[in-house]
Amino acid sequence: MANIGKITQVIGSTFDAEFNADSMPAIYNAVTADIDAGGQQRKLYGEISKHLGGGRVRCVALGSTEGLRRGADCVDTGAPVSVPVGEETLGRVFNMLGEPVDGGAALDKSERRSIHRAAPAVADLSTNTELFETGIKVVDLLTPFVRGGKAGLFGGAGLGKTVILTELIARIASQHGGYSVFAGVGERTREGTDLWLEMQETEIGSTGRKVIEQTAMVFGQMNEPPGARLRVALSALTMAEHFRDSTGADTLLFVDNIFRFSQAGSEVSALLGRMPSAVGYQPTLATEMGALQERITSTKSGAITSVQAVYVPADDPTDPAPATAFGQLDAFLYLERSISEKGIYPAVDPLASSSRILDPAYVGDHHYEVARRVQTTLQRYRELQDIIAILGVDELSEQDKLVVHRARRIERFLSQPFYVAEVFTGKKGEFTSLADTIRSFEELCDGKWDHLPEDAFMYVGAIEQAEEQAKKMAEKA
Amino acid sequence: MANARALDKRRKSIRNIKKITRTMELIATARFKKAMDRATAASDYTRRITGVVADLARAGLEVSHPLLEAPEKSTDATLLVLTGNRGLCGGYNGNALRLGMKSRAALLEEMKNLTLEVSGKRGINGFKFRDIEADETFTQFDDQPEYAEIEKIANRYLAAYEAGKLHRLDVTYTKFHTVARQEIVTETLLPLGKIEGADTPVDPEAVAARESGESLYEFVPSAESILEEVVPTSFRIKLFKCFLDAAVSEQVARMIAMKSATEAANDMIKDLSRTYNRARQSQITGEIMEVIGGVEALEG
Repeated sequence: MANIGKITQVIGSTFDAEFNADSMPAIYNAVTADIDAGGQQRKLYGEISKHLGGGRVRCVALGSTEGLRRGADCVDTGAPVSVPVGEETLGRVFNMLGEPVDGGAALDKSERRSIHRAAPAVADLSTNTELFETGIKVVDLLTPFVRGGKAGLFGGAGLGKTVILTELIARIASQHGGYSVFAGVGERTREGTDLWLEMQETEIGSTGRKVIEQTAMVFGQMNEPPGARLRVALSALTMAEHFRDSTGADTLLFVDNIFRFSQAGSEVSALLGRMPSAVGYQPTLATEMGALQERITSTKSGAITSVQAVYVPADDPTDPAPATAFGQLDAFLYLERSISEKGIYPAVDPLASSSRILDPAYVGDHHYEVARRVQTTLQRYRELQDIIAILGVDELSEQDKLVVHRARRIERFLSQPFYVAEVFTGKKGEFTSLADTIRSFEELCDGKWDHLPEDAFMYVGAIEQAEEQAKKMAEKA
Repeated sequence: MANARALDKRRKSIRNIKKITRTMELIATARFKKAMDRATAASDYTRRITGVVADLARAGLEVSHPLLEAPEKSTDATLLVLTGNRGLCGGYNGNALRLGMKSRAALLEEMKNLTLEVSGKRGINGFKFRDIEADETFTQFDDQPEYAEIEKIANRYLAAYEAGKLHRLDVTYTKFHTVARQEIVTETLLPLGKIEGADTPVDPEAVAARESGESLYEFVPSAESILEEVVPTSFRIKLFKCFLDAAVSEQVARMIAMKSATEAANDMIKDLSRTYNRARQSQITGEIMEVIGGVEALEG
């Protein structure tokens, strides 16, 4: 017999329900309530997040609470929210509850898993460290991704986080044999649709199969209430975990945008009666982030490589939300406004970005040394910037003038044409192999290309293309 | 928003830089006036010399001198590059160095042996950085070059030229036109080519008067011997003028560079102050919000 309670209070996107004190639904259990709003019937899901005492529970609504009435029935489903997992999910688009939203058939028969799970045990984790080549110069050289690791794209509004993420999907997923899962968390629905359409067009290598056939997408975008945005990342992660555990394949998990997860948490936190903490965030910020991030990990049975976009509010990386996410990642790219203002994309800040494996033990002495030389040059350039601003470049010593000369070229050479930006730039995307990247930057640091004009270094692949571009520019002039 | 304390520290250091540039601007202005007076005085002297030559020419004397003729051989050249001893004068040293490098390359193509002489620490170091060692260096010339010092150098050139060891002397320096316009040039001082006033048309009356012994001028011991003296002096004056021009230009360049540096520092202080105030305010607002939020949460 179903465990039925009554709704006693509705506060924004949370609601209270009263059950029999002897048969209270457990924390994280899903409850449902029927809503009849203007003749439209729908089912509202909620998740128990607090026991208030005396049989009363407080729930986070996983859908809109419009039309919910006090006194309505609230049914305990006896289990947490679960989503379909397995190969049936490939090629489909879901919402946070695991319901298909792409207009296709429902997945009633497939296996389901609860979205709340424990992180893998310490003993099961994989410690294998291997570089994951992306073909993007700045990433491969300065912030090498880890196969089976986590990478974050930090950046303020409009710096191109989503573009880089889409680009990575185009680069990685199209050459990747395993499965991909994409989680759209609180971002624009339009971007999600764009991505879905693009995946239907992009082929995996030359197999004739489309990327979408190997991808599951889960969306809880901006229009969804905070409860849905808070849990959608878990839904996607659950699907990815299943691929990892059952098939052992390399799985990719893309999340855009993990900040919205923290933001959704902060939206419901006060409604749940928690006292706000620093900058108004929920006191449980680190716990929530930890519970999510610790599950995105590689185990002995398979690997999850994840790329996450992290919005940085007001370009302030010390804001608690990005700062909490920051600690969880193997590699992180920090996108800088002053670089995007120069028209250099990807606007990765080469000094603020880093990677755990940029270490001679993992990437080799040569790679490490070249990366450090590039960073030293750029660092010196940045230090000189105030002097240049006040006194002008002529006052620098000869040595510093050379540093500035090279740094300006390196800075521009860090830009790269993207496959997904082809329509905007009119340039074909460039995949630059790691060996080419290292060689190009080494020659730049050695001063072999000092004679080329700065603009020749914009949006090219390997250094030879800069030379070609310089020739073309000379012909035009 | 950046750290308020870090912003304040940066603002302080820029204020200090501004103090320095502002002072340098004032000093350069004072020095510029002095150097300018000397340059004006020197040009008076030049004018007199030109007058004498013109008189000689008008008197029908053929103005010819080995210094004026191109030597038969042309294998040995000297390039003298005039730069400053000090920096903080905008593009002054850099420009002189750049043109110096260019002139040096051009001379190396034409001539077999090139002697490079550099005046000013900045130029010496600049060439050294490019792995070019100057054969002769001078660091004694600041904003008031002494004629006696330059005369020594000029005499050395003259001796070498007369001995046939030097066939061409080029000087790269910053020519002073007006306060608003200085030009970086490379001029050939030896062979002199022509001296000013030498192309004055011959006055037949003066010739007739000289021949009949009734000249306006009486040349003692002879017109030729005076010419012998005037041509080398004209070269010395020309060289001296190069040094004077360079000195004036350096002060002008410094004056302008320091003025714009002070302005740039002012702008930067303004920007930083704005960011600092905003950072400070948002910090305060944030803290107030947290306290109020906490109180509200406790009450609710």
